Amino acid sequence: MIKFAWIIPLFPLVAFLLLMIGRRKLSEGAAASIGVAGVLASLSLSVAVFLERLQSPSNYVATFDWLRIDQVMVTMGIEVDALGTLMLLVVSLVSFLVFVYARGYMRGDQRFSTFYAYLSLFAFAMLSLVLSPNLLQIYLFWELVGVGSFLLIGFWTFKPEAKAAAKKAFVVTRIGDVAFFVAILLTFWKVGSLELSQVFAAVESGQLAPEIVTTIAILIFIGAVGKSGQFPLHTWLPDAMEGPTPVSALIHAATMVAAGVYLVARTYPLFLASPIAMDVVAYVGVFTAIFAATIALVQNDIKRVLAYSTVSQLGYMMFALGSAGYVAGIFHLTTHAFFKALLFLAAGAVIVSCQRQQDIRQMGGLWAKNRTVGSLFLIGALAIAGVPPLSGFFSKDAILLAAYQDGRYIVFLVGVLAAFLTAFYVFRLFFLIFGGSYRGKEPVVSVPKVMVWPMIILAVFAVATGFVNFPTDAFANWLVEGNGIVAQTASTPWWLPVGMTILSIIGIAMAWILYGKRSVAVSSFGEPGPLPYRLLARKYYVDEIYDRVFVRSLKGLGLILQAFDRFIIEGLVKGIAGIISWLGRIGSRLQNGQAQSYVLVSLIGLILLVVSFTAGRLLK
Amino acid sequence: MPVTSYLVLAAILFCIGLYGVLTKRNAVIVLLSIELMLSAANINFVAFSKYGLYANVTGQVFSLFSIAVTAAEAAVGLAILIALYRRRGTVEMDQFHSLKG
Amino acid sequence: MPSVSGEFIAFFILAVMAIGGAVFMINFTRVMHMALALVFTFLSIAGIFILLDAEYLAMVQILINVGAVSVLMVFGIMLTRHKQEEKPKARPLHTILSLLGVAALFAVMWRIFYTTPFGGDPADPATVQSLGESIFKQHVIPLELTAVLLLVALVGAIILAKREESK
Repeated sequence: MIKFAWIIPLFPLVAFLLLMIGRRKLSEGAAASIGVAGVLASLSLSVAVFLERLQSPSNYVATFDWLRIDQVMVTMGIEVDALGTLMLLVVSLVSFLVFVYARGYMRGDQRFSTFYAYLSLFAFAMLSLVLSPNLLQIYLFWELVGVGSFLLIGFWTFKPEAKAAAKKAFVVTRIGDVAFFVAILLTFWKVGSLELSQVFAAVESGQLAPEIVTTIAILIFIGAVGKSGQFPLHTWLPDAMEGPTPVSALIHAATMVAAGVYLVARTYPLFLASPIAMDVVAYVGVFTAIFAATIALVQNDIKRVLAYSTVSQLGYMMFALGSAGYVAGIFHLTTHAFFKALLFLAAGAVIVSCQRQQDIRQMGGLWAKNRTVGSLFLIGALAIAGVPPLSGFFSKDAILLAAYQDGRYIVFLVGVLAAFLTAFYVFRLFFLIFGGSYRGKEPVVSVPKVMVWPMIILAVFAVATGFVNFPTDAFANWLVEGNGIVAQTASTPWWLPVGMTILSIIGIAMAWILYGKRSVAVSSFGEPGPLPYRLLARKYYVDEIYDRVFVRSLKGLGLILQAFDRFIIEGLVKGIAGIISWLGRIGSRLQNGQAQSYVLVSLIGLILLVVSFTAGRLLK
Repeated sequence: MPVTSYLVLAAILFCIGLYGVLTKRNAVIVLLSIELMLSAANINFVAFSKYGLYANVTGQVFSLFSIAVTAAEAAVGLAILIALYRRRGTVEMDQFHSLKG
Repeated sequence: MPSVSGEFIAFFILAVMAIGGAVFMINFTRVMHMALALVFTFLSIAGIFILLDAEYLAMVQILINVGAVSVLMVFGIMLTRHKQEEKPKARPLHTILSLLGVAALFAVMWRIFYTTPFGGDPADPATVQSLGESIFKQHVIPLELTAVLLLVALVGAIILAKREESK
């Protein structure tokens, strides 16, 4: 079965093509069926590949030659390793559930088929990405994933904010992509191959100078920063919530943003060879974790809270990787994909039931009205808060343990604080939505069944995935088998899980005291609040700073260039055009019908010809 | 006498003829100027026939043919001129501008 | 400088006559005078041919160019009505450009003539007999073609000149 892994991405591709061809004719049901069928086929094949990989822990590589550059052969193909298999499973599973969910969420949308086409395109790109055996192919699908994200964020073209957000996402991730591309060029220059296996071999044999390894690793990390919304390139991710909620769940929570983490994990030997790069990854990650968590404390848009939560959780994964916690990072990537997708889908259900209202100040008291969605959201919230025995508890513990064992105590402490904040803000969200009484004006409507059962499946996974690595280290052993990365199997100090659980419960309790117990008056949200509150509400003014520093200065530069263009380039162009038309007038005056003039012109031409042919000899 | 002298003489005559072709407005004079240019070419043929690198009589043969062609050219040119004169009533070169684009 | 010899003096005189005739042709104002100045030039060219040991060609030149062509031209002049004087019409740019162009052409040719080594001794004087043998043996086909050409030109000239009358 593993030999057919290359077919996995092709199902969504076929679905994409079918949907694009028939996007004007297909009914909603047909379009959804095509999309779901494509991704379901991928899912079943992924499961088969996963099961086979479980039994025989050897990587499967199949490539064909694509380009020859002098002596170097650039290949295309697939490589199925443990990480890739896991990603295949996660991506196709979440994709499948979101595809089903979107049937209900996007009901009645004018471009329903196009939406499924874009989703299929994205699934194709993402599945291909995780199968890529070389950097060039990764880059190719990396960009294609970005295109899918761009199309889907801006899907509601009638919303100017959506268009702006799509543009922003594209431009901001581009900064990271450029760095990634430079890393690829540098690798090719220094190693002479883009095959990951050869790159790793070169790193291990010490063929590469340490500075070069560090540079490449950091450039790759910048690429990951762009895609995974790490500080300072995180600003696009909250804005990307302008897209439809299934998109937010699939792309901006579970899969694409995890691509950055995946990339770092995929090129992990490079990072292991460079302590500086590891430091950078760890500190950027933990800073992002705490930074985004504090912003999430005060946001009032349900999806933005979750978006900042995603940024924060991705920071977790990054600092796990930076602290040599390879398994912990991937583990959290997996669990996070499930519980964050669950949270987003539940948020989508809440949005639907409140008639497209996203402001949590206009919600409240939904527990009584929609107990199913409420309990599903609660499961997601408990998982992300790290309450045992849900999956988030295990993976977060693993991450903090990795930081602690790596001797990064500052990172560890900040991570603990961020975990506490996570519990607080997610339950602030929960209590504001489901606790108290309803504050909105529109009546609450029910949620379609087709949207509920994907959430139930996700909830099962959100609860259960933690146990793949507990009480034995089966998951860790399987993941690192054969790829030379050492899994940390040291026993957990007893105080860590206990302390974390207590911290989470304190966070939840504080949220309950502040937002759950007393029903908060709507008016209290409108107050300007103290300085720290405003600072957080404005997201540390990062967007404003970017606007001042980069956008305005670039606009100034643009004005200068525009003036240059208008007055100098255009002047030149017009001047040349003027000369040409002047010549044309002269030429047309020559056409006066006088044979003698024609003879004269021929004579002058003859002289010019003779002189130009013989000038060299005549001037001797 | 070096061949160059003859060549320069021919070149002078040729250039004068060419100047006549370019500037004279009477078509008959233009035809005469063309005759002059052809004669200048004939001088070259004959000069090379005597002083050329492979001097032989063929140069003179060429010259003979050239004179014959010149005669034909003069006859046809004059006939055209007369036909044109009948149609337009003039032989001034600058009155003929039907070539104008 | 070539040494002064009889040939040189003869060449000098003939060259001056030929160029003088040509210049007069350009500068005269009456068309008939121009034609006669050209006859003078053609006669000088015939003299040049004799200097070059081409006596037969000189005769042909006198017979055809001086005789036939010039007479033809005089007929042409007389058949067409002329404002007898060539009235100079202002075309200064054209005239100046023509002068410059012709001068440049002459300069180029001059330069070429004086930088090209024309080697070779003078050939043996060609007799009329050798000329005749060359024409009628070696170049007999071009000769016949020339005859056809002359015939065609004759017929063509008659047709061209007659066509308007038939209307």
